[in-house]
Amino acid sequence: MEDVQVVAMLVRRCIAGDAAAWEEIVQTYNRRIYNICYRFAGSADDAQDLTQDVFIKMYRTLSSYDSSKGAFVTWVTTITRNLLVDHFRKTKQDRMTDSMDSNASDHEDVQPLSEQIPDQKPTPDAHVRSREVSETVHQALGKLSPELREAVILRDLQDMDYREIATVLRVPEGTVKSRINRGRAELARLLQRTYRQVM
Amino acid sequence: MPDHTSNGMQCNEFDVVLSDALDGILTGTALDRFQAHARSCKACGPLLAEAEAGRNWLKDLTEVEPPASLVNNILASTTGVDTQRLRVTAPVRQPKVSWLEYVQALFLEPLWATVRQPRFAMSFGMAFFALSVGLTVAGVKPADLKEISLRPTAIRHTYFATQARVIRYVDNVRAVYEVQAAIRGVKRNLTPAEPGQKQKNRKNDTSQQPEQKQERNYSQSGEQLILASTPLGPSLRDLPVVTVTTYRRFV
Repeated sequence: MEDVQVVAMLVRRCIAGDAAAWEEIVQTYNRRIYNICYRFAGSADDAQDLTQDVFIKMYRTLSSYDSSKGAFVTWVTTITRNLLVDHFRKTKQDRMTDSMDSNASDHEDVQPLSEQIPDQKPTPDAHVRSREVSETVHQALGKLSPELREAVILRDLQDMDYREIATVLRVPEGTVKSRINRGRAELARLLQRTYRQVM
Repeated sequence: MPDHTSNGMQCNEFDVVLSDALDGILTGTALDRFQAHARSCKACGPLLAEAEAGRNWLKDLTEVEPPASLVNNILASTTGVDTQRLRVTAPVRQPKVSWLEYVQALFLEPLWATVRQPRFAMSFGMAFFALSVGLTVAGVKPADLKEISLRPTAIRHTYFATQARVIRYVDNVRAVYEVQAAIRGVKRNLTPAEPGQKQKNRKNDTSQQPEQKQERNYSQSGEQLILASTPLGPSLRDLPVVTVTTYRRFV
């Protein structure tokens, strides 16, 4: 995953003012952080802003990272998760009137969910179909409660182990497992309901 | 989740090992008990199916590609450094901006954004309407504007022509007033004087001169003459009247 010694060295160089080391950290982690933000926030614009905020916070608090307390990636993910929760609380009012169909994505054409469900005929372009399914799942993921969503994202999309997730979320491992199970089940129910409506 | 035992496993225990079972790390007797519980429990069986389905759905989600400018933006917002190497990896070139576009972006766009607000748009609409009505009433036609010449000589010519027209107009009006005054004088001479004429004339006086009237004014300014006497009599009836005379000066 990450070589602890190399990362610790990078962090030390960064703190000493080495711009190249910071650039390397940004290059290494920007994709991961962007994906977490995108899956949690649901929009590409928000994800881009949040990713920048995460790195700004990282840059300011880099000296507080203690390699003996945990992996750098866990520390980075914790910062990301905290910012995402803050963002979720700030934008709670905006989402009150959102509906599943009105939740448009920036990575796909803006269409209601019902129009994005593939029909029963075999789609000529398998890639397009796969993209549509991904988009449907992405929208359903956005409908999960933040507790379940973050657990599912960290486990199923970021492949973090339960112990790391427990550290990031500051809850026991048992709670993490329970949230992941409930999140997956809730997601499946949402998608089944959506498909049943259009069929 | 209902907490009941089925096939030697409780539902909350099932929930704990569900993740391990889906990850494939549950083996042996524990796996057998797990599967037996899933088959017999009405709550846990569907939960297993849904959790598995949900996990399979999530497999369809691939990683999204961050924007090419993201790294550059992050570095600019943290260190303020825009390195040469980054420009090679993320070639996002800023288009060359002409001074006209610069002015447009700096001044016109914010102004236009303000103007587009409904309240301002309404005000401008009303102002335009009032202006167009005013011009129509004044007899100004937009078609006439096309014939206006903006050459210096033409402008000078227009200026002098307008000035001459105004002077002529004033002279004409003055002549009319003089004739009217002369006629009024002749009429006054021909009409015999009547009693009370003076009063009547005063009412018809249009000379804009205020009437000379005596006012009682009790305010004391430096230029007022106050004729007063101290009370000498024993009763109030014997009190003298205080007369204040104001002499107004008309300039």
